[in-house]
Amino acid sequence: MAHATHHHIIPKALLLKVFVTLVVLTVITALTGQADLGPFNFLHVPLAVGIAVIKATLVVLFFMGLKYDRPINALSFIIGLLMVGVFLAFTLLDMLYRGDIGNLERQPIRGPQIEQMASPTTAH
Amino acid sequence: MAGASEAITRVHAAEEHGHHPPYLQHHFVSAEQQFDAAKLGMWIFLATEILLFSGMFVAYAVYRVWHPEVFQAASKLLDWRLGGLNTLVLLASSYTVALAVHYAQLGNQKRLLQNLWLTIALAGVFMVVKYFEYTEKFHHHIFPGGNYAYEGLQLPYVGQFFSIYFVMTGIHGLHVLVGMGVLTWVALKARRGVFSSEYYTPVEISALYWHLVDIIWIFLFPLLYLIH
Amino acid sequence: MATQTYAATATQPQAEINYLNHARGLKSWLLTLDHKRIGLLYLISIALFFVVGGILALLVRLELFEPGQTIMSAETYNHVFTLHGAIMIFLFLIPAAPAVLGNFALPIMIGARDVAFPRLNLASWYIFWLGAIMMLVGIVASGLDTGWTFYTPYSTMTGSGVTWVVLGVFILGFSSILTGLNFIVTIHKMRAPGMTWSRLPLFVWGLYATSIVQILATPVLGITLLLLALERILKVGIFDPALGGDPVLFQHFFWFYSHPAVYIMILPGFGIISELIGTFSRKGIFGYKFVALSSVAIAFLGFLVWGHHMFVSGQSATASTIFSLLTFLIGVPTGVKVLNWVASLYRGSIWLRSPLLYALMFLFVFPIGGFTGIALGTLGLDVPLHDTYFVVAHFHYVMVGGMFLSFLGGLHYWWPKMFGRLYNEKLAQLAALLIFVGFNVTFFPQFILGTQGMPRRYFDYVPEFTTLHQISTVGSWILSVGLLLVAGYLLHSLFKGQKAPANPWGAGTLEWTHTGRVPSPHNFDRIPVVTRGPYDYHLAEEIFGNGRGDGDSLAVQPSPSGQTQQPQSTT
Repeated sequence: MAHATHHHIIPKALLLKVFVTLVVLTVITALTGQADLGPFNFLHVPLAVGIAVIKATLVVLFFMGLKYDRPINALSFIIGLLMVGVFLAFTLLDMLYRGDIGNLERQPIRGPQIEQMASPTTAH
Repeated sequence: MAGASEAITRVHAAEEHGHHPPYLQHHFVSAEQQFDAAKLGMWIFLATEILLFSGMFVAYAVYRVWHPEVFQAASKLLDWRLGGLNTLVLLASSYTVALAVHYAQLGNQKRLLQNLWLTIALAGVFMVVKYFEYTEKFHHHIFPGGNYAYEGLQLPYVGQFFSIYFVMTGIHGLHVLVGMGVLTWVALKARRGVFSSEYYTPVEISALYWHLVDIIWIFLFPLLYLIH
Repeated sequence: MATQTYAATATQPQAEINYLNHARGLKSWLLTLDHKRIGLLYLISIALFFVVGGILALLVRLELFEPGQTIMSAETYNHVFTLHGAIMIFLFLIPAAPAVLGNFALPIMIGARDVAFPRLNLASWYIFWLGAIMMLVGIVASGLDTGWTFYTPYSTMTGSGVTWVVLGVFILGFSSILTGLNFIVTIHKMRAPGMTWSRLPLFVWGLYATSIVQILATPVLGITLLLLALERILKVGIFDPALGGDPVLFQHFFWFYSHPAVYIMILPGFGIISELIGTFSRKGIFGYKFVALSSVAIAFLGFLVWGHHMFVSGQSATASTIFSLLTFLIGVPTGVKVLNWVASLYRGSIWLRSPLLYALMFLFVFPIGGFTGIALGTLGLDVPLHDTYFVVAHFHYVMVGGMFLSFLGGLHYWWPKMFGRLYNEKLAQLAALLIFVGFNVTFFPQFILGTQGMPRRYFDYVPEFTTLHQISTVGSWILSVGLLLVAGYLLHSLFKGQKAPANPWGAGTLEWTHTGRVPSPHNFDRIPVVTRGPYDYHLAEEIFGNGRGDGDSLAVQPSPSGQTQQPQSTT
């Protein structure tokens, strides 16, 4: 029983392929990040985050071996991600719609330091 | 009239007395159970790490949505080439640590050790680049939040961007340092020949931790350095 | 000291070796890897902090006996109620059921020799103490007056020991996370053969759900408190409006943990109630599957409602509405649990012992807490009731009436297994009565005070509120007498109590049927094979000891030939 049976060995060639893909995706991210996309500039964030998601998925599936692993491990990871999604979504639900009651300012209170920065006549 | 509720079985009696590997802890029934437990434990721990960083990602999202032009201007003060270099360095370190696990599974002690040292070295490069980035910022009086004092960019809420930058990269850097320590400990064990194709659990789970450190940076790079 | 090895025979030797006496000396306790000993280490620790928190509570009530200054200044009062809350929540309520009862019972209940990571378990206890000491250092050095919720901007401005305390709580969080991690891996990977998910005792399901919340929520508390500390030290300005931060963002961060935290407190309690009702009604739990799955459902739904603490903070109406709706939703699985417990009692063979008394008290008190929670979750009602004594009464009903009563019930239930002693049942019933009366006299008037407008955390009040406050304070004295009585007879039983048999309650779960009077260090000589559910009382022979029915010896004997026996169906 000392001999382990469930240990999938990921081939070196596959690891190398994944690494090269990751490098290529990083280069694409960096270059498109600098480029001016004209009317498509609003795509910068989705593109950058989207590529990051693909890279992360590759790392998780192949470098971390989740593709060949027991489902419970994947479930733990995914549930963690879902909770982050909940945290983000519900907080933004407040932040984005601040002031929808009508008697509230959208921005939080601006303290003295911020006021100072906003009116550059006062030297720091 | 013994009931069926417990048919006493001699669980792995033969294994227990004759075949007991030194690395098998006594509360586990088999090496397989021990390995599976360690892996699940690490994946759960990685979920907690994701949630730890999530707070900062939420803060980032909130302040970026509220002050997009400030974030855009402040991001220009970061050197995206250094950030990109660090991304490649960490990706390479993920590759080498995955190779380390691969060689451990094959029982190749030499290559296991080499790749562990390579991973640690690449992590060191990351920290050196980080050091230069930080000192350059401090030189220009770019500090978090209320201590921000860079004359070249004075906007309301610019301090918040750098707070988020320093806290996120700072906590990430701390995790890199911890990872370096853990991997060093594993490498020293590997040098003593503790691991084999049957037992390499510490290599596996420290590699998992290291990959997460890489993944966090994969997101930090575009979000902090490439804002347009 | 007998030198025979315990593993050899199944009969009871005269001086049996168990987990309490097999190794002596302080080192054997402080360096133990035995989950049962670690459970006891936690028991002593949280009991200590409960006493401190309890004394602070008595001081709060004493100050409120009269309007104006009674025994302390307003500034001192701020410190006292803050510390009462922080100590009770972080050093008692969060760890109590999982780290004490969970640590002790969980591995045995699933047929394992220990938790998955025993060294991590011990480390959790030391981390608990490290965090506690850091908190205490901060408190002793500079006090804490922010309320246990640490709201900014006051918490970033005040001179009190906030930094030390929040860093201490940050460390405490790791203790909680590691315990939860340990339990999840244990339940997934170390169940005995035949212990399927649908044969798990409901306390285990409760701990499983609790652990899920612990590992998902606590890290966010960690980053929140870390940011608060950084805010104070480095002026990062994320939460402090003077620096451009948003104080409501702090509340989002804080409550993302702190609401699920209340489910960390109550879910093990629900599990305990299931065990108590199942055992003492001899019937098992009505709707086992639903009760089990509702625990997990509550664990996840608990993450979706945190904004109900923030209805009047300036949160957007959109968010408030959605949070309110989801808050109503979470009442449903909880309500069905309560109904299922009542249905479990119905037509059962009720054996009224003190553990069941606590369960019955729970069934009365907890729904009051729960319903008032739904009331507070209603947007229109919350506007006048927020930050009043109505809220104070609500959370004391669920936390003390819910969690603490179930903890006491569990403590009484497993006491004979933990120590091999029976406590005085008559005193226990008297104490339960005192606690029930004292608790309700303390906290029910607070609902009324709240609806009449008495704000929480106030050291002074208008004279019209005096009578109700005085009734509440007297209630706290009655409650204290009851609790002192509990401590008294429990401690007494350790030295002079009647020796308990292996299964004094006639329960059906493995820690009762498959261990001796007091468990051996490794729980089982041989890992059992499970072929029945935890509440299958119709299989009485197996539960009560191979037909002997004396309950004094081990319930299990290996048959002479070593062969498995065929089941004798007794339906």
